[in-house]
Amino acid sequence: CTKNFEDYNTDPTGLTEDQLKPDFNFIGGFYPQIQSSIYYNYNNTTWEYQLQQNLIADVYSGYMMSANPFRGNISNLTYSLVNDWNGFPFSLAYNRVMAPILEVKRRGAQSVAPDFWGVALILKVEAMHRVTDIYGPIPYSQYGQGGTTSAYDSQESIYKRFFLELDTAVTNLKAYIASKPGATPFAKFDMIYGGDYKQWIKFANSLRLRLALRIVKADPATAKAQAEKALADNGGLLETNNDNVMVSGFGIRHPLYTITNKDGWSDISMNASMESYLGGFHDPRIGKYFDPASDYPGQYKGIRLGGSITAKPGYSGFSTLAYKETKSIKDNSPLQLMTAAEVYFLRAEAALRSWANPGGTAQELYERGITTSLSQWGVADQASEYMNDAVSKPAAYVDPKNAANNAPSPSSITIKWDDGATFDTKLERIITQKWIAIFPEGQEAWSEFRRTGYPKLFPVVNNLSNGTISTTIQIRRINFPQAEYVANQAEVQKAIQLLGGPDNGGTRLWWDKL
Amino acid sequence: ATPTFAHTPVEQDVTGTVRDAQGTPLPGVTVQVKGSNKGTQTDANGVFKITANPGDVLVFSSIGFVGTEVPVGNSTTVNITLQGNVKGLNELVVTALGVKKTPKSLTYSTQRIGSEELTTAKDPNLMNSLNGKVAGVNINRSSSGAGGSVKVVLRGNKSAQGSNQPLYVIDGIPMTNYTVQQPNSTWGGDGTISYAPGRDGGDGISNLNPDDIESISVLKGASASALYGSQAANGVILITTKKGKNGATKIDLSSGFQLDRVAIKPEFQNKYGQDPNAATQSWGPAINGAQDNVKDFYRTGYTWINSVGLSGGNEKMQTYFSYANTRANGVIPENDLSRHNITFRETGKFLDNKLTLDGSANVIIQKINNAPVTGLYFNPLTGLYLFPRGLNMQPYKDNYTKLDDVRQIYLQNWPFNEDVQQNPYWIVNRNGSVTERNRTLFSASAKYDFTDWLSLQARGNMDRTNDTYDASIYAGTNGVLSGPNGRYITSNLTTTQFYGDVILNLNRSFGDIKLNALLGSSITDTKTKGLRADSYNGSLYVANFFTLQNMTPGSQISTEPSRHQQLQAVFGNASISFKDLVFLDLTGRNDWSSNLSFTPNGSYFYPSAGLSFILHDMIPMPQAVTYAKLRGSYSVVGNSVPIYVTHPVNKLGVSGGTFDFNTIQPFTDLKPEKTKSLEVGTEWRFLKDALSFDFTYYKTNTTNQYFQIAVPPGTGYSFRYVNAGNVQNTGVEVLLGYNLVNSKFFKWNTTINYSKNKNTVKELAPSIDQFILTDPGSNAYTSLIKVGGSYGDIYGRVLQRDEQGRIMIGADGLPMVAADQKFIGNPNPKWQAGWNNSFNIKDFSVSFLVDGKFGGQVLSMTQAMLDQYGVSKASGDARDAGGVVINGVDADKKPVSTIDAKTWYTTVGGRAGVSEQYVYSATVVRLREASIGYSLPASMLKSSFVKNLKLSLIGRNLAYFHKKAPYDPEVTMSTGNGLSGVDVFSLPAVRSFGLNLNVTF
Repeated sequence: CTKNFEDYNTDPTGLTEDQLKPDFNFIGGFYPQIQSSIYYNYNNTTWEYQLQQNLIADVYSGYMMSANPFRGNISNLTYSLVNDWNGFPFSLAYNRVMAPILEVKRRGAQSVAPDFWGVALILKVEAMHRVTDIYGPIPYSQYGQGGTTSAYDSQESIYKRFFLELDTAVTNLKAYIASKPGATPFAKFDMIYGGDYKQWIKFANSLRLRLALRIVKADPATAKAQAEKALADNGGLLETNNDNVMVSGFGIRHPLYTITNKDGWSDISMNASMESYLGGFHDPRIGKYFDPASDYPGQYKGIRLGGSITAKPGYSGFSTLAYKETKSIKDNSPLQLMTAAEVYFLRAEAALRSWANPGGTAQELYERGITTSLSQWGVADQASEYMNDAVSKPAAYVDPKNAANNAPSPSSITIKWDDGATFDTKLERIITQKWIAIFPEGQEAWSEFRRTGYPKLFPVVNNLSNGTISTTIQIRRINFPQAEYVANQAEVQKAIQLLGGPDNGGTRLWWDKL
Repeated sequence: ATPTFAHTPVEQDVTGTVRDAQGTPLPGVTVQVKGSNKGTQTDANGVFKITANPGDVLVFSSIGFVGTEVPVGNSTTVNITLQGNVKGLNELVVTALGVKKTPKSLTYSTQRIGSEELTTAKDPNLMNSLNGKVAGVNINRSSSGAGGSVKVVLRGNKSAQGSNQPLYVIDGIPMTNYTVQQPNSTWGGDGTISYAPGRDGGDGISNLNPDDIESISVLKGASASALYGSQAANGVILITTKKGKNGATKIDLSSGFQLDRVAIKPEFQNKYGQDPNAATQSWGPAINGAQDNVKDFYRTGYTWINSVGLSGGNEKMQTYFSYANTRANGVIPENDLSRHNITFRETGKFLDNKLTLDGSANVIIQKINNAPVTGLYFNPLTGLYLFPRGLNMQPYKDNYTKLDDVRQIYLQNWPFNEDVQQNPYWIVNRNGSVTERNRTLFSASAKYDFTDWLSLQARGNMDRTNDTYDASIYAGTNGVLSGPNGRYITSNLTTTQFYGDVILNLNRSFGDIKLNALLGSSITDTKTKGLRADSYNGSLYVANFFTLQNMTPGSQISTEPSRHQQLQAVFGNASISFKDLVFLDLTGRNDWSSNLSFTPNGSYFYPSAGLSFILHDMIPMPQAVTYAKLRGSYSVVGNSVPIYVTHPVNKLGVSGGTFDFNTIQPFTDLKPEKTKSLEVGTEWRFLKDALSFDFTYYKTNTTNQYFQIAVPPGTGYSFRYVNAGNVQNTGVEVLLGYNLVNSKFFKWNTTINYSKNKNTVKELAPSIDQFILTDPGSNAYTSLIKVGGSYGDIYGRVLQRDEQGRIMIGADGLPMVAADQKFIGNPNPKWQAGWNNSFNIKDFSVSFLVDGKFGGQVLSMTQAMLDQYGVSKASGDARDAGGVVINGVDADKKPVSTIDAKTWYTTVGGRAGVSEQYVYSATVVRLREASIGYSLPASMLKSSFVKNLKLSLIGRNLAYFHKKAPYDPEVTMSTGNGLSGVDVFSLPAVRSFGLNLNVTF
């Protein structure tokens, strides 16, 4: 008698359709996982974030550096790219973001709940632009077709698709607001805006502006058109710190707290470039971002990327992230994806490029970017002094433990806006301040560094890339995951064609033009 | 009484039972009336019936027994006991389902181990006592000391994702032998959480009391176990337990005390001290000698097993009762085990002896404090071994805690902050665990004999095990492993198995043809309910308070595992013999498994067929040959598939109430694995059975393996399953026994077993050429199955060499390391052999067992780390010698003959270093067991109430005759499929010696 066999072979800890029916869980229930998986700390595993972002973008952006001699200093941190690490941004995005979004689609979100679908598209673009900005071509338009292979798209076509998806998202959300003003059906599942669709539209527009500027070198016409569309949209952009895209709730913890905490992993510290800029600029945010070095009381001390790290405690007495003194990185700090300050800097660049409707001059927007950031970190009172500093420059770097790591100041850029400066200097100023403002979101900082070359970061000390990555030009991408070579060989080969260069860290992405 | 007349003899029916010295009925014994042509044979129950005259003499003869003549006299009943002349030659062999058969009729190889061999030098896990004694069985003990589980592989690994361990069967009934937990990475880990202690949760077989066991039969091949169907693809270990016997009451007392000492310690350098620039390292200036911190840490452990067994009964009812108490103190401080085994068994005959009832109850209560862990985390041995040379650990031993003024709490006192090491004394005192097991087994069977050729048997069993585990990890534990308030891990798991079967037995002769058949059906129902909680991803509200209610949100709490599996089967067996010369054995079994629901393949049929010929009765043979047999069999059996894979579901994430979307493709056309097995063999006995020889060749192909393989995540899935692959095992097994001397005062018996297995991975899934058993993570050890390779191949990092094989040194002066991990070895022995000797000199008995496993390679991550940290003797010797001698070439193509010791060892050493440099031959030859016993002579005990008294001096693992690896390669980090052949700070093997006292009243 085998009539109960299907019952036995059904995991009782699984969710059944009957259990999903109430409270709109059958669609909405999948969103918390999606939102927890972009800046990854789903289930608070933390080490996955470490491999998704911390030991890639967070260090390549010049924000952070590890005091841990990972793999005997033969690792990403010395440009010896670790295949065992570098598949994580890829697999996490597909398995934890794209897969549940596909499930939401299968469950009919497009017709049953177009507003939910709009939110899904915004999250999808937010998650996946990070992935294409790491690898270049990735599977996108043909995602989720099952089978055993998956085709890649060129980065150009992916970006085009991003803009179309943001169009749909904004249209769907506006239609919902028009038909049911004030309704917040998504509130229960929303880890960012408490179900307020107006805020989601602002996020979508701001994201469009970010993506438009990203492709300004590769496709200037689309860049301008999309940026102007974002600037002109009546839904608006992120303007105040209340609009910031911060993920919290559903038990999520800040991965950087665990990683930097000396009682935790003490695996991540301040990067020498941050010390140079924040220290040189006497930036009031320095204490908000970092704790003073325990080995050098009262001082902030960063570590050079790619330096010869000695075994702990070695460099662990240098500055960690601010978990101890000002406690801006706490266990339960929300995860920052995008801020109003960033949007002002994007608008400043749009103004610099003389695009329509930036909403102010480049200087005005640049200064609003700075003040918005300073107020985000609770040091707004020092804004005018800071903004009017025309003297302070990034400092030279001295490593008290190893003089081989010493380096002269990377740049002579100052803070105060100078309308008479060249385009390049103005751009450096905007991007340098944007870089400071959007900390600790290393992914965006690294992408913008690659697009613009700013801020000027200290190069890697020991370059163990076997000549594939230039020390001066610095790392441009991460190679495709090793697992793809095993399971998706033919498509990866086509992806390399789309990439237009060898699959290593030295090849520039489509939007990354000289 | 029947009137008799001396001058008129009256033919009458004489009946009786023939037994061996142990009281076991002997079938197939030839009974003849001396001087006539009248003869018969005993039936399966040892019973014979013959017509004879009073005054006739009956001649009983059987292979392996001394021929015996008994006058009939006036009695119509003749019960006799035959004395064996060669040990074990004609004992009935217990086969699948508990069916007893004569050795003649077996078409496959089995090997039997008697109670004495298991209890002479007792191990808390009785399977360890089988090591070296059975051909074709590879036994690896876990590194978690007493209470640890054991990895038993018969005739090679077969299954990639299924189990490779045999089925254990007690008195015909399959036993649950799951292991609660095994480490899953070189870090340790517990399967779901990476930063958890790498613990061995123990297995089912390790709980039994060795003194309760009558014998163990190993059915190595699939043919032998085909009647157990899908549970038995990896062979079966049949355990027959003791029961009460007809006759006088007997009390057996046994007390064994063993001392255990660490047999292998790493070699350290004593000349160079702490590195001033890197406090954790010992690459510093010269020192004058170093403290032996390691010796101060280990203690002498002991194992003390006391047991009492009572048995007695009459013709109708027999009773057996036993109690055993095991206490063991590990060689690591604070580790101990206590175990109580209580067994009660009652057998009886009713309804004119037609109904036989047999019932038993077993209770096992076991508690282990601080079971040793393996891997880099929570392991006291990392901090112990890596501690800088020249520093004294004593202060950290005396004060493993220190007061934190601000928090007013005692935290860990240790000078380093590294995830891979902590104060060893802190770990044993403040990272403790308690593992408890409460197990009850109830079995009952009833057999009714309708006639002397037809019987019906019904059996039932309940095996219920409750396992609990509580780890109390105090505040002050390294931050990678615990939150600032400590960490609490708890799990509570109950597994209940119900088994039932009904079997109809038929035994009939049709002239020269005998039929022995059975038809039956069985059901096995297994339920597991669990609760697990770990505060790791959350925290504790109150420091050092270990309860569920103290866990903060974000902690992982789950009602897992939660499983219900059922296996139903119908089976049949027919053994047909012709004139006792040719035996044909056919079996068939059909399984229905709940794990296969949601597929169209719910039901599976497994057949087997075997033939044996008794050559010496068919072909004229020289006088020296007393027995010759040829056998062969072929079978197809399955290996079950895990629960839920045909029907994966969306679940809740482990914390925070998020939905965890399933990305594993459901496996809707899953089939069970299939092992096709061919076996041929021959048995010979010479010189009045003094010399025996048994040879077996086998070949098995395991196909339809189910693999979970990664698919490109762009497909929408992360994994899919396929049925594919072909893993082949071929091998030979040889058993040789010789009674060299068999005189009244001196006996010398020697046996040799030899086995060789070759494992070849012929194919995996289409487009998949490798399957990973243990993922390297960030370390330099990978265990995998690769086409063309063999099961469990070890891959690791290797040096880059030029075309002349020279080590390439980069421009930075460092040895260059190849990007990909390469094949560096395989841990499975190529062949193994055991040599067992026993001597009896009057009242003394001496025995020893030497065994060897030859071939194979193992990796020592321990040594790699000791080298990297500069604490190893090798790193010191290299410094003394001015560097490491290498055959290298630098970036300018100039030869390099020496390289700085620190440069070398910090590059090639370490957990992520060049693991190729840390591969060692796994060949090991050892004196596994030795004993000297003295029995009080029977003459002295004649009038005493003591019937038997034996005192023995015993030793286990006494000497390594050959060993190249820096650890005992037989110790395995996990008894699962992965982590084979790697040592990551495992508890070292121990050398044991002690005293056994056995008294029978």
